[in-house]
Amino acid sequence: MQVIIFIVQQTMYFSIPLLIVALGAMFAERSGIINIAMEGIMIMGAFTGILFLNLTGNSMSGQLQLIIAIIISVVTGMVFSLFHAYASINMKADQTISGTALNMFAPAFAIFVARVIQGVQQVQFTNTFRTDVPVLKDIPVLGPMFFQGAYITTYLGIIILIVSTVVLYRTRFGLRLRSCGENPHAADAAGINVYKMQYAGTLISGALAGLGGLVFVVPTSVNFNADVAGYGFLAIAVLIFGQWHPIKIFGASLFFGVMKAISASYSGIPFLAGLGIPSYFYKMFPYIVTLVVLIFTSKNSQAPKAEGKPFDKGQR
Amino acid sequence: MKKRFLALALVAAMSVTSLAACSSSSTEATTAAAGDATEAADEEASTGVKTQSESEDGKYELALVTDLGTIDDKAFNQGAWEGLVKYAEENGISHKYYQPQEGTTDSYLETIGLAVEGGAKLVVCPGFLFEEPVYLAQEQYPDTYFILLDGEPHNADSSDYKTSDKVMPIMYQEDQAGYLAGYAAVKDGMTKLGFMGGMAVPAVVKFGYGYVQGAEAAAEEDGKNVEIMYNYTGQFAATPEAQSMAASWYQNGTEVIFSCGGAVGNSVMTAAEANDPQGKVIGVDVDQSSESETVITSAMKMLSNSVYDGIKAYYDGSFPGGQTTTMTAANDGVGLPMDTSKFENFTQEQYDEIFAKLAADEIELTSFSEGNIDPTKDLTELTNVKVTYVE
Repeated sequence: MQVIIFIVQQTMYFSIPLLIVALGAMFAERSGIINIAMEGIMIMGAFTGILFLNLTGNSMSGQLQLIIAIIISVVTGMVFSLFHAYASINMKADQTISGTALNMFAPAFAIFVARVIQGVQQVQFTNTFRTDVPVLKDIPVLGPMFFQGAYITTYLGIIILIVSTVVLYRTRFGLRLRSCGENPHAADAAGINVYKMQYAGTLISGALAGLGGLVFVVPTSVNFNADVAGYGFLAIAVLIFGQWHPIKIFGASLFFGVMKAISASYSGIPFLAGLGIPSYFYKMFPYIVTLVVLIFTSKNSQAPKAEGKPFDKGQR
Repeated sequence: MKKRFLALALVAAMSVTSLAACSSSSTEATTAAAGDATEAADEEASTGVKTQSESEDGKYELALVTDLGTIDDKAFNQGAWEGLVKYAEENGISHKYYQPQEGTTDSYLETIGLAVEGGAKLVVCPGFLFEEPVYLAQEQYPDTYFILLDGEPHNADSSDYKTSDKVMPIMYQEDQAGYLAGYAAVKDGMTKLGFMGGMAVPAVVKFGYGYVQGAEAAAEEDGKNVEIMYNYTGQFAATPEAQSMAASWYQNGTEVIFSCGGAVGNSVMTAAEANDPQGKVIGVDVDQSSESETVITSAMKMLSNSVYDGIKAYYDGSFPGGQTTTMTAANDGVGLPMDTSKFENFTQEQYDEIFAKLAADEIELTSFSEGNIDPTKDLTELTNVKVTYVE
């Protein structure tokens, strides 16, 4: 039992950031903008959020501090994604190039600013954010699994998932957003402001990626070194694996999370260590499955039809 | 109104950019002239690691070329840089560090060239990755002195080792530092140990082997049985994977983990802090006790001392080039920082005793055999220690 609780907890550290960032990328792509700058935006979001944690230290209660840091990360992500939005929507630039530029800019910027402010590039923080949820923590099994020593960011991830699903499929905004990704000219003819929709999509993706960066770093390190270990790109893989659909993305991120957690921690779990399966197997498994799934689904891929193509009103 | 404002703003923005474009050539000239002043200002602005000294003629006598890390990596590069800065500041010598673009021999060599062009008389190269670049550089720049930490100059396929009179390779007996850490941990009362290395480079492997043998020695003395989980994470970075592995070990009863690989330590410390009860961590290379409450001690290489001594010897005219200097317990090249250590039972006397034995060469340590990094294959005579090697 202890072991299962442990694996579930570890899985959350991998899955939740992947889920949040992949949902962010989904909003951008559904509006027709490919945002491969997720990695860079994660770095920026994590950087400002953790810089805040570093500067405020122990001056306020852990949860309040974390919530403010979350807001800062979200705002940073949105501001940073504005560059991408401006380049790809107004300037009709190649979205891959603009995204790559942001990816290259972000770590350099984070290192530079950290050095200027504090002399060293690692931004340290003290982790006081684990918390027990009252009442719920006493539920047998589920209590220790989800409500003891947990991060509020885990619940935030689930809330974002629910809100995303509702927004995308049950609101006027969601319908318009999706139509801009599928056929922007038809959307335009129907009187929808495509530029506005694409801006909204890109900004949401920036907000979620910034948040994802913070959520990624807080439970797994004691300092931030301008790096999120490629999880921004992995999130895009999760998005594709999840076929641009929020619930499927949730499934995909859980799947990646479980496999990552098991491959990293199997040596400390007597049952799994006893099986004698080499760790390479666990490490390869999610990627092999992704390849196989892509092979079978690529014929009728659910990718938004107009993604990556700059929308030009005058074009037909 | 709104549109007019936008148009105005755009015009303003465009004129600024075009002006900047026109005047770019003159800006460059100013930047170059102002370069020295900015550098000095930068140095004042930074509160932590000093980056470089100001120099009137733009030449820097002492140079350090970093390897994959940076000069504030709280480990290898920083230790070396601190030694260099200490000597340079005491004696008012200009100094500067150079960071290669990428981790390749060509890039290292190019950066060494930059340092030499920048007036360097002595270049410090921390890390075994510099073995080949220094091998090439000693011929290319015959007037420059080199201090090479953790390695000996050799060519690409290791078929030829050559150290010129102006190169001072410094090697450390990491296994002795690891030995002390393992010995201290078991003597302190712990029986379930862990080792998480970074990339399985020789220095890391030696740390690990020494650690296992130190634990074995203490376990034999006390008649205890000790279990060691043993893994190389494969990179010198803080990753969720490393955190997860460490967490699983702590969760499974491991009491202390020796984190031996730069930023891997941050992941291990996070896992240690999150575990209930808190796990313990042994740091590496430099005293890492300031990084986390959970760090009980560190297996140190006295990097800054050896760099300082090497530079001092150069200026005294007694540069010990041409042969490898080995730093051991005997010349205070390795050790544990007992002042900042948080042991419960292991005492200073016990430390002094075991340290003296190491210094007197009374303890023989088994090293890894060619092409093997798995301690269970080389250390076959362990009686009280059971090593579980995790691939």
